[in-house]
Amino acid sequence: MEDIQYIGEHLLPGQIGRLAILLSFVTSILATVAYFLATQKRDTPEFSGWRRIARTAFIIHGLSTFMVIATIFYVMIQQYFEYYYAYSHVSEDLPFKYIASAFWEGQEGSFLLWMFWHIILGFVLIRKAKEWESPVLATLSFIQIFISSMIQGVYIGFGEWVYKLGSNPLLLLRDTMDIPIFANADYLSLVTGTGLNPLLQNYWMTIHPPTLFLGFASTAIPFCYAVAGLWTGQHKAWLKPVLPWALFSGGMLGTGILMGGAWAYEALSFGGYWAWDPVENMSLVPWLFLLAGIHTNLIAKATGQSIKSSYLFYLLTFVFIVYSTFLTRSGVLGDTSVHAFTEMGLESQLLAFLLAFVFLSIGAYGWGSRDVPVPVKEEATSSKEFWMFIGSLVFLFSAALITVSSSLPVYNKIIELFDPLYVGSVIEDPVVHYNKYQLWIGIFIGLFSGASQFLRFRESNFSKHSHKFLIHLGGAIMVSAVITWLACTWIEARAWQYKLLLFSGIFTVITNLDYLISFTKANLKTAASSVSHIGFGLMIVGILASGLNKKFISNNQFAQQGLIKGFSEEQYKRNVVLIKGEPLFMNGYEVTYVKDTIWENYRQFEVNYKQKDKKGKIIEEFDLYPNVLYERKENKIAAVNPSTQHYWNRDIFTHIATLPLSETDKEYAKSLEDSLNYVTHYMNVGDTLRQKDYIIILEEMKEGATHKDYDSQPNDLSYGARFTVYPKKINARFEVEPVMALRKTLLYTFSEAIPKLGMKIKFPNEALDELFVPESELGYESFKLKRGQTVDYHNYKIQFNNFNVEAEHSAYEREEGDVAVSAEMTIFDQQGTVVGKAAPLYLIRGKQPFNFKDELFDLGLHFRFVKIDPQTEEVEVLIGRKDDKKRRVPIAIANDVPRSDWIVLEAILFPGINFFWMGTIMMMLGLFMGMVARRR
Amino acid sequence: MKKSHLIGIAIIAIAIGLLLSLSGDVSTYSNFEEAKASGERVKLVGQLMKDKPMNYNPAIDPNKFHFHIKDSKGVPGKVTLLTEKPQEFERSESIVLTGAMKGDVFVATEMLMKCPSKYKDEEIIIRSKTKQI
Repeated sequence: MEDIQYIGEHLLPGQIGRLAILLSFVTSILATVAYFLATQKRDTPEFSGWRRIARTAFIIHGLSTFMVIATIFYVMIQQYFEYYYAYSHVSEDLPFKYIASAFWEGQEGSFLLWMFWHIILGFVLIRKAKEWESPVLATLSFIQIFISSMIQGVYIGFGEWVYKLGSNPLLLLRDTMDIPIFANADYLSLVTGTGLNPLLQNYWMTIHPPTLFLGFASTAIPFCYAVAGLWTGQHKAWLKPVLPWALFSGGMLGTGILMGGAWAYEALSFGGYWAWDPVENMSLVPWLFLLAGIHTNLIAKATGQSIKSSYLFYLLTFVFIVYSTFLTRSGVLGDTSVHAFTEMGLESQLLAFLLAFVFLSIGAYGWGSRDVPVPVKEEATSSKEFWMFIGSLVFLFSAALITVSSSLPVYNKIIELFDPLYVGSVIEDPVVHYNKYQLWIGIFIGLFSGASQFLRFRESNFSKHSHKFLIHLGGAIMVSAVITWLACTWIEARAWQYKLLLFSGIFTVITNLDYLISFTKANLKTAASSVSHIGFGLMIVGILASGLNKKFISNNQFAQQGLIKGFSEEQYKRNVVLIKGEPLFMNGYEVTYVKDTIWENYRQFEVNYKQKDKKGKIIEEFDLYPNVLYERKENKIAAVNPSTQHYWNRDIFTHIATLPLSETDKEYAKSLEDSLNYVTHYMNVGDTLRQKDYIIILEEMKEGATHKDYDSQPNDLSYGARFTVYPKKINARFEVEPVMALRKTLLYTFSEAIPKLGMKIKFPNEALDELFVPESELGYESFKLKRGQTVDYHNYKIQFNNFNVEAEHSAYEREEGDVAVSAEMTIFDQQGTVVGKAAPLYLIRGKQPFNFKDELFDLGLHFRFVKIDPQTEEVEVLIGRKDDKKRRVPIAIANDVPRSDWIVLEAILFPGINFFWMGTIMMMLGLFMGMVARRR
Repeated sequence: MKKSHLIGIAIIAIAIGLLLSLSGDVSTYSNFEEAKASGERVKLVGQLMKDKPMNYNPAIDPNKFHFHIKDSKGVPGKVTLLTEKPQEFERSESIVLTGAMKGDVFVATEMLMKCPSKYKDEEIIIRSKTKQI
């Protein structure tokens, strides 16, 4: 094929970016090698030379990675759709504030985000880590090699065998797809971006990924320190500098995970904050390992015990970060998770990443841990370190259980490799399964973390303190038991296991509060631990309260009785139908769908909640605004966004489960409209029409009408017919005004509906001839009239009464400098009774004369005021009509129209959910406090 | 031997015990025949039959959605899902349902759909507006 000279492409950013990608990869290798050699030769004169090379390489690696990111942002902001990444993540109508979200929506962008944080953390380490810089950054650079290989997009071939390494974010669109459009040299003028998934167009997508990836990236630092300690044999020295990093990472990763939960709860319609989804689980597991590591690290620092465990836990933390990356991005999870990325052909590379770090960990631990010093004296059961260690084992236990269960899809995949006919197994009910085991983890952690606070490190004489210990412990148990008993009146903890968990949560809050007050003495280190553990206890209370007492408000047993057969189905009933304006009573609330408003692609619903006391007085009232986001162009729903009423002790969560099909599918709406049985009636102003369920009166014909769906333009011609409708069965009165408008040659009809009566009304197409009579068919006659003068026109007498200089006309808008005057005329029939009044308008604007006609619709008379003689005050008026017939309006009415003014609503009550948020935030706060306290 | 090691070993023993009991919470993806034979709550995997009628009428019951699927063996069957009809349902490639057979109908309480990613279609979106020159 001959080369095509494409028009309008910007190839330079791509060339710069691709060069930077390659440079980033090469320098990460160079930095790894140089830092490795610097570490190996740390006691020789060559050390500083290698370190200088390594630093330079790492800094260039950082800068080139920033360059890649900047280039991608540039092509995205410029909307250069010749680049695949810009094409598939931005669109012309994507608001600028979502550019960052669009950047990390894709796999490549999120890898770059991860690398970005590693680099930032690496720069901090270069400045602060002193003698640890070389071994720590050697491992960090080694990690960077693997991640940056993911965005290389190069083909490596050995003979027949070709392997694609990574996926390059700066490929051109025409290099990624093979379609005929690229035969056109000017293809760019035809292409526009696909944009960011509407579900991701919210601020959570802006803040959650960077936080989570900072959490991910920060776990690499304790890992690198652990490797460095094993490598250099400084088994005690690494324990101090690693601790603040581990605490920071624990706080950051925890915050990232929590934000995910908050996102799910606040903005998505998941109806909860945690679902034990494999992707969620595998982000939790490294965090649990990290917490275990922090605890053994504290023990090791204080007593010299548990150094090996600290190594193991920090190694496991990062290995499981990589494992979680592998699960999320390789497509292994398939249909067991709602979060997973789509496959990109990176599976083998991700697997290599994982295996490399599994083997690195095993190797480093196996080789390095031989000479770890072990204290001769064993820890006493009455010492703090003993129980902290048991606590760490509980974390390990929890993480192992979650990992084994979440990895089920992986075993399936492996067995399938050997036995293609194997049918994979799945966990039947994940939430039940995980809760069953993790319940006990919660109980143990609560009890241990509560009781062990009163113990001391390296206890050698427990009997001396046992009295004090028992007083505090006994007091805490009694207070906690009382509070648990009180809390059980609020939380329906039916099973004894739940009561025990509640007790252990409250117990750790009480003991740690006690500890904070009686022992801490304004010491930030110990206060940090108390704050975290109090947070943990509150979290447990929140989980139990919101989980056990979660209640679907939206099941109205009275309204939906009879529709439900069988008992077991009952509990799954979550949704109710709410008809606009008709309150529905459900679980103590009177709920009304008040109205809906549309702006841009959003449709927002106002739902009113009222709670009344026995006398009918309103004791609580609030409005919620759940909305749906329509896809552009199509009338399809892209996302539903819930709305939640927050109280200190409970939340009321509301979202739109479904809308009528006619509101979500334009084609269906059209076919529904076509299937309606419209009957045309001819009516005159003042006529009454009787229908089965109502009577309808034509009150008025209006020229220049308005309608909610109609944007009028200056040269439009439009008519509206105002009707009043009186139902027979109910005492009510409705007004409707269907509209027909003519814009040049386009005809628009705007119908009106009264859903309650199942009626729809509109102008039928034949109304066109009746309403819009061409001027040429009116046979205008000219009359010259003075004030008070009367002329005969066919069967009418028409009198010119007076001028009106403050004239108004539906088609006329007054401007500065206008001279506008109307001629007020009265029309009489042969008997002399008044049958109508007209006021055609005459206008001089900028020395140009204009006139606006007036029409008496029912008489079929048209008036134009065309000239005025200032001297004689004589006016010239044109009067015309089509024919002698009295005019009647054709009106089409359809009855038995299916209602479409309802929503299907899901409303859930979450009691005590704020305990969960408060508790988790306190946990993270405690970790950060610990980091600050131990930074030196 | 250290006490902490003993406790560690005990915990690992409990863990192994619990993991063995995991098999009780696990099952393979079922089909209509097996679901009917067992009568218990199972996970059924299948594909939507787009040519058969689908029925969701919220005005009558917003928590019932009827449709037909072909199970993993290609056997067709009726399904009643006890939630709303999800968005994009027609586009689903495969469906995982959790529920039990009631007579000839599989009554499901949960559903997971696998849809082709709609924003990554291998087709180019052509500008609908004419480009200004």
